[in-house]
Amino acid sequence: MADLKLVGITKSYGGLAVIHGIDLAVRDGEFVVFVGPSGCGKSTLLRIIAGLEEVTGGDILIDGVSVTRLPASDRGLAMVFQSYALYPHMSVRKNMGFALENMRLPVAEIASRVERAASMLQLTPYLERKPKALSGGQRQRVAIGRAIVRDPKIFLFDEPLSNLDAELRVATRKELAALHAEIGSTMIYVTHDQVEAMTLADRIVVLRAGRIEQTGTPLDLYNRPANLFVAGFIGSPRMNTLPATVVTAGPDGGMMLAGREIAAAVPDTLKPGDAVTLGIRPEHLATVIPGDAGRSQASDLTVTVDLAEQLGSETYLYAQTADGNPVTIRQAGQITITRGNRIDLLIQRDALHVFNSAGLRVAQSATETLG
Amino acid sequence: MSGRRDGVSTDAAQNGPAGTVPAAAIVARPLGALIALPLRLLDAPMRALQRTIGERRMPYVFLAPNAAFFGVFVFLPIAINLWFSVTGGPALFLSERPYVGAGQYGYLFECGSFLDPNSCREDHFWRGVANTAKFTLFQVVAMVAFSLITAVVLNMKIRARGFFRAVYFFPVLLSPVVVALIWKWILQRDGLLNAAITSLGGQKILFFVDPGWAMFWAVLVSVWAHMGFYTLILLAGLQAIPADLYEAAEMDATPRWRVFRRITLPMLWPNMVVVIVLALIKGVQTFDEVFVLTGGGPGTATLMVVQYIYETAFSNQVQNFGLAAAASCVLGVVLFGLTLAQLAASRRRAT
Repeated sequence: MADLKLVGITKSYGGLAVIHGIDLAVRDGEFVVFVGPSGCGKSTLLRIIAGLEEVTGGDILIDGVSVTRLPASDRGLAMVFQSYALYPHMSVRKNMGFALENMRLPVAEIASRVERAASMLQLTPYLERKPKALSGGQRQRVAIGRAIVRDPKIFLFDEPLSNLDAELRVATRKELAALHAEIGSTMIYVTHDQVEAMTLADRIVVLRAGRIEQTGTPLDLYNRPANLFVAGFIGSPRMNTLPATVVTAGPDGGMMLAGREIAAAVPDTLKPGDAVTLGIRPEHLATVIPGDAGRSQASDLTVTVDLAEQLGSETYLYAQTADGNPVTIRQAGQITITRGNRIDLLIQRDALHVFNSAGLRVAQSATETLG
Repeated sequence: MSGRRDGVSTDAAQNGPAGTVPAAAIVARPLGALIALPLRLLDAPMRALQRTIGERRMPYVFLAPNAAFFGVFVFLPIAINLWFSVTGGPALFLSERPYVGAGQYGYLFECGSFLDPNSCREDHFWRGVANTAKFTLFQVVAMVAFSLITAVVLNMKIRARGFFRAVYFFPVLLSPVVVALIWKWILQRDGLLNAAITSLGGQKILFFVDPGWAMFWAVLVSVWAHMGFYTLILLAGLQAIPADLYEAAEMDATPRWRVFRRITLPMLWPNMVVVIVLALIKGVQTFDEVFVLTGGGPGTATLMVVQYIYETAFSNQVQNFGLAAAASCVLGVVLFGLTLAQLAASRRRAT
C-alpha cells in the first residue's frame, strides 16, 4: 500500500524522446489506468515506474521517497506482464513462491502465503502443475498470484488481458475489479482498450505521443473530454465530430452545421465566424420519424444511411451528411432503416461538445456545472 | 477506382524490370534448355519404367542411386571391417585371410586387470582407451565450462558483440591439422610461449616432454578449436529464453547468481545435454589434432584409441588389419551407444 508521485518524467532513446515530462500523483489504494493508442508511451511509463527502464529526467517518489535511482528489485513493486512471464520449468507453487524464497522467508510462511493467494484466485487444484498445463486464464491468475503473495506496495499491470479471448477478458476484468476491492492496494494498469479503462479505473490517464492528454474519472472523461483526441478515444462507438461555424455567440446563439443554422448555446469566448468542431456522442442523436409529432420541429441534421447494424437491444446507424462527414447514431430498440434512406436527426443540446480550431474543448459554462 | 489505380501501378512495375530482363534471358534461356535436355531424354524411359513396374514402386527407383552410394561407401566398409575383425594374418584380400572367430577380440581383451594397461597383452590399446577416457573427461568438462561462460558473455550487451561472436567461431573453420601446427609453433621448445616465459626471466618448459603438460595442451587445444561450435549452440539456447522472464525475476528481487542457477541453467539444460553428448562423441573420436600436436607422446602419454587403430593397421612394421578392425568395432559400439544417448536427449528436447 503506497502512493506514487511522478515529477517531470522524461525518457528518450538516443535522440528520440518518447516521454515528454509526465507529472502524476496516484493516491494510496487508487486504481489508475493508463490508456492510449499503441506507441503512446504507456507501457514505457509503467516500466519506468517498475524500474525496468531508466528515466532520462524527472523523479519517481513512492510514499514520498525517491526511488528513481533504485533498481527494480529494491522498489517493492510487483508487475503482471502481458505475456505473464511465468517460469516455465517451475510448478505454479514454485512460480508464486519464487519471490518469497528470494526474500528468504521461512518455508512455512511461504507455503501459507502461496496457499492463501491460490485459494483467493481458485488456483489450489493446480498448484503442482507447470504453466504449460494451464489454460490462458489460469496462467493469467498465476501471474496475478505471483504479485499478490509479495504484498507489494503497488501492483503494475501491463496489458494483462490482451492475450485472453473476449469472453475470458470480460470475466477476468470483473475478477480484477473484485480483487482491487478486496485487497485495496494501489494498482496501475496499462491498456489500449478504453472499455477496460472505463470499467476498471478509479481514474484514467489518457496518453498520446508521450504526453498526458487528460486525467480524470471515467465519467469525467466521457462527459467532458478535454480535447478531440480524448473525445474520440473514450467511448464506443466513437463520438461524432462535425465541422461547424459560429453564427452568434451566447446562450441563445447559433451555428452553421452542414449548411443549416441550428440554435445552440455557444460559449461567449467564441466569435461569429469562428470555425469549431462539434462533438456529438452517437446516443445523443435522435431520429425524427416521418409523420411523427416532431415533424413540425425543424431537424438539426439530415443524413443518408450507409449501414444499419441491428444488435437487438439497440441499433447502430452509420450514415453521412450531405458534405460527406460520417455520422454514427445509436438508437435504443429495433429500427428498420435501409441503406440509402435519408433521415432527419435532432441533437441533444445539453450533450453537445464544442472544440475550437486547436481541437481543445471550449467550456460550456452552463452545462459544465451540471455534469 | 482504387482498383483501376492499382492496375496502372502494377503495369508500371512490370515495365521497369522488363527492360533488363532480356539481357539475363540471353544467358539463362539457352542454359536452362541445355540443363533440361538430359532430363527430357530421361523422361521417355522413366515413363516407360513407370508403366511396367507401376507408380507404387517408383519411389524405390528414385532412392536407388543414393542407396547405392551409401551401400558402397558406408555399409560395405562396415561389413568388410566386421569381416576383417574375425580373420587373422597379414593378407590384405579377404579371400586369403583365415577365419579366427573372436580371436582378435580375445587378444584385445586379454588383460590381468582392465584398470592397468600394463597387465594387458595389447597394452597400447588399453593405454589408448585410458588416455581417451581421461582426455574426453577433461575435454568435456572444460568445453562445457568455457563455452557456457563464453556464450553468457556473448549474450550480454557488450561492445562489438558481433565481432567477438565471429572471432570465437573462427577456429571451428580451421582444419584440425592447421590448428595443431599453429599450437605446435607456440608450444615447442623454442616456441612463442617459451620465448615469452624466458623474456620474463622464467625457465623454458618442455611441454611435449612432460606427460602432464602434453595431455593438458592436447585438451586445451581441442577445446580452443571446437568451443566456438558449442558456444553457438548454447548462445542459441540463451537467446531462446524470453527476456521478460529476466524482467519478472528482476521484479521478484532475484539475486544475479540465483537468476543464473534457477532460471538460465534450467532453461538452457536441453542445449547443455546436446553439447555434453556431442562433445563426448567428438572426444572419443579425437585423433588428428592430438596426433599432429604430440604424435601420441611423450611415449604413449597422449596416445588415443583412434591413433592406436591407425598405427596398428597402417603404420606399424607388421600391419595387423584384423586387430585394428576389432578395435574399430569396439570403438564403433561405444560411439553407437553415445549417439543413441544424443538422439534420446534431442528427442526429449523436442517434446
